[in-house]
Amino acid sequence: MKTDHELIREFQDGNKASFDELVKRHLPDTYGFFIKFTADEVEAEDLAQDVFIKMFKALKKFRFESEFKTYLFRANINMSNTYLRRNKWRNMFHLDQAPEQGYMDTSYEDEWRKKELWDGVAKLPSRQRMVVTMRIAQEMPYKEISDIMGISENSAKVNYHHAVKALKEKLQD
Amino acid sequence: MNIEQRFQQISQSNFETPDGDSFIATLHEERQKRHVKKMGIINGVTAAAFVAVFGLMTTNQLTDDPAAYASNDLKPLEVMDLETEEYVYDLAEYLVESSDDIWETLAFLDNIEFEPVTTMNEEGIQ
Repeated sequence: MKTDHELIREFQDGNKASFDELVKRHLPDTYGFFIKFTADEVEAEDLAQDVFIKMFKALKKFRFESEFKTYLFRANINMSNTYLRRNKWRNMFHLDQAPEQGYMDTSYEDEWRKKELWDGVAKLPSRQRMVVTMRIAQEMPYKEISDIMGISENSAKVNYHHAVKALKEKLQD
Repeated sequence: MNIEQRFQQISQSNFETPDGDSFIATLHEERQKRHVKKMGIINGVTAAAFVAVFGLMTTNQLTDDPAAYASNDLKPLEVMDLETEEYVYDLAEYLVESSDDIWETLAFLDNIEFEPVTTMNEEGIQ
């Protein structure tokens, strides 16, 4: 099986099928990441699509300095930040006062808790938001989080600790 | 259960990944659509910039008072102001006086419908 880097090289040489192969390979992780955020399959698919459209352009200039998985994950995080910001405005203008009914959870309370959790995440400072997103949504080890964010492992732990404290207070209110 | 596990439990979802082939087909369709839209915007902005620059360049070539051009444009060609009329008469006189062949000059003035010559011809015919 070809590595991600090999597929990217082929794509840079003009083989679009290699890009498609890359999308197929990383679609489950990317989609899984966004579905946890949105609890809405249409929205998750749209976000995944946006990320891969950006990748189509960005990969032409990819410099092979990092793993593609890390690169893609950074893009996912950026996209989720945009989504959270957009939702913050939506909530501010009361465009969706009632939590959306997710397709996979039948319990209304679960949905409400999930919405409350991600609303809380949206209000965290950027670095804490990123760490907690990776930890909660992807269950990533601190080592991987620190690699992706370019910070030390300790810094990732401290940021996570502050984020969890803030979220705990919010959810207990 | 610690807080981390609780968060993970809250965010836990069972999901089915969309079909790869149809996802890719939609992806490329959307990408094309965005590309066309982007090109449309770029072309629009380029055309607007071109019109603006061209407009600015041609406006700069006008006199200080563009209204003068507009007023002249609206004036019927047959009506000459006094100054122009005087100039044309002087010019005709000069042409007649300085020409070697007066008949040829008169024929030329008749040709361009110089009024005194036309009248003279018509009176002659009558």
